[in-house]
This record gives sequence, C-alpha cells and structure tokens, in this order.
Amino acid sequence: MDKDKCTGCGVCAEACPIRYEVQLPPEEEAKARSAYAQATDEAVVAEIIDLYRDEPGNLLPILLDINSHFRWLPRPALEHLSQELQTPLSEILRVASFYNAFSLVPRGQHIINVCLGTGCFVKGSPRILAELERKLGVKHGETTEDMLFTLEVVRCIGCCALAPAMRVGDDTFGRLTPGQVGKIIDSYTKTANL
Amino acid sequence: MKLTSLEQLQKIKEKGLQQTYPGKIKIMVGMATCGISAGADKVYKALEDKIAALKMDAVLEMTGCIGFCQQEPLVDVVYPKKVRVSYATMTPAKAEALVEALNAGEFFGENVLCRIDQEEFLVEGTKKTYANPHPPELPGDVPKYEELPFFKKQVKIALRNCGYIHPERIEEYIGRGGYTALHQVLTGMQPEEVIAQVKDSGLRGRGGAGFPTGVKWEFCRKAAGDLKYIICNADEGDPGAFMDRGILEGDPHAVIEGMAIGAYAIGASQGYVYCRAEYPLAIHRLQIAIKQAEDLGLLGDNIFGTPFSFKLKIRKGAGAFVCGEETSLIASIEGKVGEPRPRPPFPAQSGLWGRPTIINNVKTWSHIAPIMARGAEWYAGFGSETSKGTTVFALVGKVNNTGLVEIPLGITLREMIYEIGGGIAGGRAFKAVQTGGPSGGCIPEEFLDTPMDYESLGALGSIMGSGGMIVMDERDCMVDVAKYFIDFTKDESCGKCTPCREGTLRLMEMLEEVTAGRGQEGDIEKLEKLSRVIKKMSLCGLGQTAPNPVLSTIKYFRDEYEAHIWAKKCPAHVCKELITYRVVPDNCIGCQLCRLKCPVEAITGAKKVVHEILQEKCIKCGTCYEKCKFDAIVVE
Repeated sequence: MDKDKCTGCGVCAEACPIRYEVQLPPEEEAKARSAYAQATDEAVVAEIIDLYRDEPGNLLPILLDINSHFRWLPRPALEHLSQELQTPLSEILRVASFYNAFSLVPRGQHIINVCLGTGCFVKGSPRILAELERKLGVKHGETTEDMLFTLEVVRCIGCCALAPAMRVGDDTFGRLTPGQVGKIIDSYTKTANL
Repeated sequence: MKLTSLEQLQKIKEKGLQQTYPGKIKIMVGMATCGISAGADKVYKALEDKIAALKMDAVLEMTGCIGFCQQEPLVDVVYPKKVRVSYATMTPAKAEALVEALNAGEFFGENVLCRIDQEEFLVEGTKKTYANPHPPELPGDVPKYEELPFFKKQVKIALRNCGYIHPERIEEYIGRGGYTALHQVLTGMQPEEVIAQVKDSGLRGRGGAGFPTGVKWEFCRKAAGDLKYIICNADEGDPGAFMDRGILEGDPHAVIEGMAIGAYAIGASQGYVYCRAEYPLAIHRLQIAIKQAEDLGLLGDNIFGTPFSFKLKIRKGAGAFVCGEETSLIASIEGKVGEPRPRPPFPAQSGLWGRPTIINNVKTWSHIAPIMARGAEWYAGFGSETSKGTTVFALVGKVNNTGLVEIPLGITLREMIYEIGGGIAGGRAFKAVQTGGPSGGCIPEEFLDTPMDYESLGALGSIMGSGGMIVMDERDCMVDVAKYFIDFTKDESCGKCTPCREGTLRLMEMLEEVTAGRGQEGDIEKLEKLSRVIKKMSLCGLGQTAPNPVLSTIKYFRDEYEAHIWAKKCPAHVCKELITYRVVPDNCIGCQLCRLKCPVEAITGAKKVVHEILQEKCIKCGTCYEKCKFDAIVVE
C-alpha cells in the first residue's frame, strides 16, 4: 500500500476478499507458531521448503524430508510449512496421518522395521517381532524409554528371498532367527553407549 | 557431452565394454538389497582389503542381483581369456581364500554354483562367448549356468542386465546395447509406429491387471491436450514381491529408456517415477542413473539432436499400499492424500493434474526397449496364446530355491515350484501357492498343472498380480493366511468407501473369532456373503480384490475352516489359541536345551530329569518344539 496516496476512504477494506483473515507480517507470523525445540531447527525446515518451493505437488517430498531429518514431524515444523505453503494445517495433518511413513510422535534413535510381508510371515517373522517386543519391553509402534529404539512393522522391504528380514536404521538383516535378534539389538546399544 | 549421433553412442559403448570386460581378473559381488542383507557388503570389504594387501592386479566391481537370492552372497569371477564362474553363499573368510587362489593363478574350487560360458546381449541379439569354457583346471562337474534347474527355463528380458553390469554406470548399460532402441525410435519411427509395434508384441501391463499396453498408449496418444505425462509405478506394495526393486537396483537404465520411448510415443515431455520409500537403494541408484542420462543428453532437451525432449523426476512414496492403484498414485504425486477416485475418466484421458497420463509398471517399462530393438514378432514368440512375452516372478516362501525368476508366460505352476523352485524345503508336503499379493488367492495342489497366464490364474480365483509367488507347506494354516491378508488390507484400506473400510474390518473380526476357536455355525457362509459384497461394491481395485484370499481359501480349504469351527482344532498347528505344546516323557532325555531356550521360563526340569511345560506360562512360541532333537515335544 502506498501510504502517501491513501485517503483512508475504506473502499479497499470493504472489497478485500480476505479481510476477515488475520494478516500478520512474516516476523509476527513466525512468533505466533509453536516454538522449535532447537533454534537451528527452523533454518533446517526453511531450507527443505526452499528446495521444493516451485515444484507442483511438493507437500509429500517436503514432509518426507522433514520426517527423515527429525525422525518425526514436530508440530512447529508443520505450522511453519502451513504458513509457507499457504495450506491449512488441517490438510497437512490429514496427509501426515494418512501415510505410514510419517510419525506425529517422537521416535527413537534407531528405528527397527520388522518385515511382515507374506514371504517373511510364512517364514516366521511374527516370532521375530514377538522376540523384539520381549527384548525391548515395548509393543510395536512404541519407543523405548531411553529413546534408543522405536519398534515398527513394515509391509515388505523386498528381501522376501532372505526371509525373515528386518531393518534397523539403514541396515538390513536377512535369514533371521529369534535367537539372533537379541545380539543385533545389543550391538546397537553398545555403539550408543560409547 | 550431449550425444547427437549413433557414432557417439558407439564410442560410449566401446568404453562400456572395456569396463565390463577389462581383460584381467574381474570379481563381481551381487550388491542389491537382498545381497547386502545376506552379508555381501562384508564380503566386498574382505575382497577389497585382500586385493589391496596382495597388491593384486584385479578389478573388483559390484553388480545387481542375478536373481538367485537363495544363494546370496553371490560372487562372480571372470577368469581372463577363460570362463566366468559364480560362487554361492560366500563369507568374508571364503572371499579372502578366493583372492589368494586367484593371486596364485589357481582356480578356486569351493562354493562353486555354476560356470557361465556365454552371455547374451539381448537387445542386439548376439552372444558373447568366453574364450575358453573348459580350462583344464576347471573340474568337470561344475554345472553350466543354463543347466541349473533354477536358470534352465528362464528367459531374461526385463532382467537382461541384472547381475552382469555395474548398475551405477551408464556406459556398461550402453555397452550391452542400451539406448540404441531409443536412438532408432527417435530417428526413424513415427509415434504411431511405436504404438503399433507395442500393440503387435502383445505386451500386457505387468503391474497386475494385464491391460494391453499398446492400446492404453493409443488412448493417451489420441487424447486431446498438448501436455501429457508418463509415470512409472514403482510403488511395489505387494508383500512378497520384489522384482521392481531388483530391476531398479540392477538395471535402472532399462526403465529410463523404456519411459523415454513411451513418452515419445504418446507425446509427453515430463515423466515421474513413483518409487516406494521402503526401497532406499533403488531410489539412490535411480537418482544416479537419471543424472548420468541427463549428462549424456539421453534425458532433457533435444535428445539425440531431435526435437524430442523428455525430463524425468523421482517421487518417493510414503508407505501407503493403496498408492499402487493408479488414481491414488496420481493423487499422491499431486501432494494429496492417496485416495482413489472412480474411473472413468481413465488416467489416459485425464490423469496427473487433469492431463492425459500413462502409468505403467517397472517391469512393463523394462520390456519396451527390447521390443523396439528386436521387433514385435520376436517378443510375441515367447509366452502363450493370450499372454505374450515373459514376466518376472518373485518365488519365495517354503521352496528350496528362492529368488527372482523370469519365465515365458504359460509355463505351469508345477514347473515353477518343482523344477525352478526345486520343490518344497525340508521335504515337507506342498499345501498352496499364493499369487498376486493381497489381491490374489491361494491355489491348491490339484491345480498345479495350470499354466501361468492372466486368464488361467483368474479362472482359479487368483490373479497374476505383480508377480509375487509365495509357496506354503503343510505347516501353514490357511485360515491364518486369510487372516493375515485381511489384516493387511484392513490396515491399508484408505477409508474412502464404506464396503472396503468397514467390510475388511468385519471380515477380520470374524476370522479372529474362528482362529481363536470361537467360530460358530454359519460363519463360513457369512464370510462368503460379506466377501461378495465387498468385491461388488468397493470403489477401487484394492477393495474389489481384498476378499480374494478369504474366498479362495474357503473354496479350496474349506475343511480347515470347518476344523477350526467344529473341532476347535488347527490342523497346521499355527493358531495359538488352539494348540498346546507337551513333553513326551518317553522321548525326553532331560538335556535341558528346551528349558534354556524357553524365552519365558515355562519349562521345568533338571539334567536327566524329564521336563514339563507349564501351560499357564507358555506363550506358544514354538521354540522348544524346534530346538528339541529327540522329538520329545509335540504340538496338539
């Protein structure tokens, strides 16, 4: 708006189609959001959004990148995204809750994915899962108290010929027996304690 | 450098051949996800270290999966001027021994799987024969590749380069005839001719439904609009299927070349590969491949100096099975919730952002370049009357040989399971084979002589689907299997339409009752009735096929349902509520093995004292049953 020329007649305010929406300047807008846990987080999210800004249909790639950076989708990031993409938060949450890859609660340092694909199922992966649940003391979908492991199930990681299989972070393990599971978990616990 | 002529492509080809066949000892390790999970990365490291330690003049490379996943980690050695030998189930220790033998100029004779005397350059229709397939130091009993039952009946078109080239080097793909078909199409064929050739080849969509690919392309070509899209469906959601992963990890350029040809045929300039996020390595290799193709001008503007331009992007899925359905997949690329919409309009008329769009599966795309290069007649020469060509199956479950198998359509299930698959593992009895993932059905022994093609499998109440083939033996409970699949579709139902969302939930509840021994008279009929309603009333393919596992198991294994309902017994000893583990005192020698292995300390007893299982503590995990060497534990 050109302040020098404005007479304050109010015609524009009447005609404005978005006059009932709160219009905040960007810095005010940022203040209205929930706070990030760490100061650097905001820059990370901003960078991810910039990477895909001009791409049509960019919501999913952005959410995937945020999800892989934080291992979940923190609320401030979603609010930030909602403002930047001019998309209602409810729509973003709808997408985020629809896809299995996203988590709306914090997840552990190592995400364990036990494969429950058919190949693994007939070769006994439910027993691998049961053993992990006993070992970690959590049910699938939950995170251990020390935030070290999140136990999840996945519908096939494509290692069917080496069933039963599981993935811990980026490492894939095949031809598992319930007996091996404990040792694999211990190896991650040890590296974490170093 | 941007390639503009066939001569320039030839130069790259020579470079590629030089890399693939360096003229000295070359060791190749199968490094797809399957290989790595079996320990191929450790084997590779051991080879690398040993070669460096011995300062040996040898080339160490990784390659894709040759398909015989059962034998992973696989290591191949090209003995220069001699033969190529495949080594199976390698370990780091064996790898070191292999390098030592090679360094001493000897033949390594352990873990030998087979020898490969010649390689086929499928696109060119030529064969490269190794100089001396019978070197004197090679023992006479090493089987030839083509003599192994697992490979004997296979015809590799989609998998033509998997296990032969370095998947991250475009030169090696070009070396084996890659991108010549694209050049041929762009410089010498009209789009209509390309479509006619695909139609004549009889190629049908390999993603599951089997719609004729050429016909679909023609619809899209004729659809109004100057902006069109092309999509590769790599959202391989069917549990038990991994051929798309195998192709993308072993030969990503086969898909890219096929898509570029398809884009030219329908008049598209932008393409997407929608790949599931559960396949990080496939995405990684595809990214490299796209970058390399762009650098050589095989993707981008004015490909081969022609007016044709085509750009390709990767979109990652986010773990939703329903996104394998084409309208959901499109919604997902658009950044929305992956819910299907009614068809028509079909995507070929109105797809991505309302534009005409062609979606084909990874396998379908990888067939395109050979069809262009070798001709429709050549391709149609494989397969059966109505189902032409070859397709890739993922043979898994309780067979001896598991892996990726590419066969001409029309061979029988029996050939697949007993010849290629080597029969049932552990000498147990065959019970059923499940095809087509959660949309398919379970086929019993009496139909094993059925040829595998779209129509025959459909007539049995199953589907070809994307090619997952899970073999089950006498220890698999078919009611439990039906429950497993319904649990899957119940979770993966997007919730948009009621029959699928609520129907699968109710089916699951009923199956839970049956497997818990609380089934009642009339349950089977109720299951059948509800299944038929879900099939008829659901919006998309997911719901329309979701009850297939229930219907096919009731049809062929009704006695098992009846045993659960009437006798409250699980004949396969799977359903936990219906079984108990017990010690047979006469057989128990008191070795304590089961007692020590029991995860919940439910077994009492001491050394040389007959053990006992405390039923109230027992979680029925089956560990004791499997560990006992004296048949002293029974399940009933």
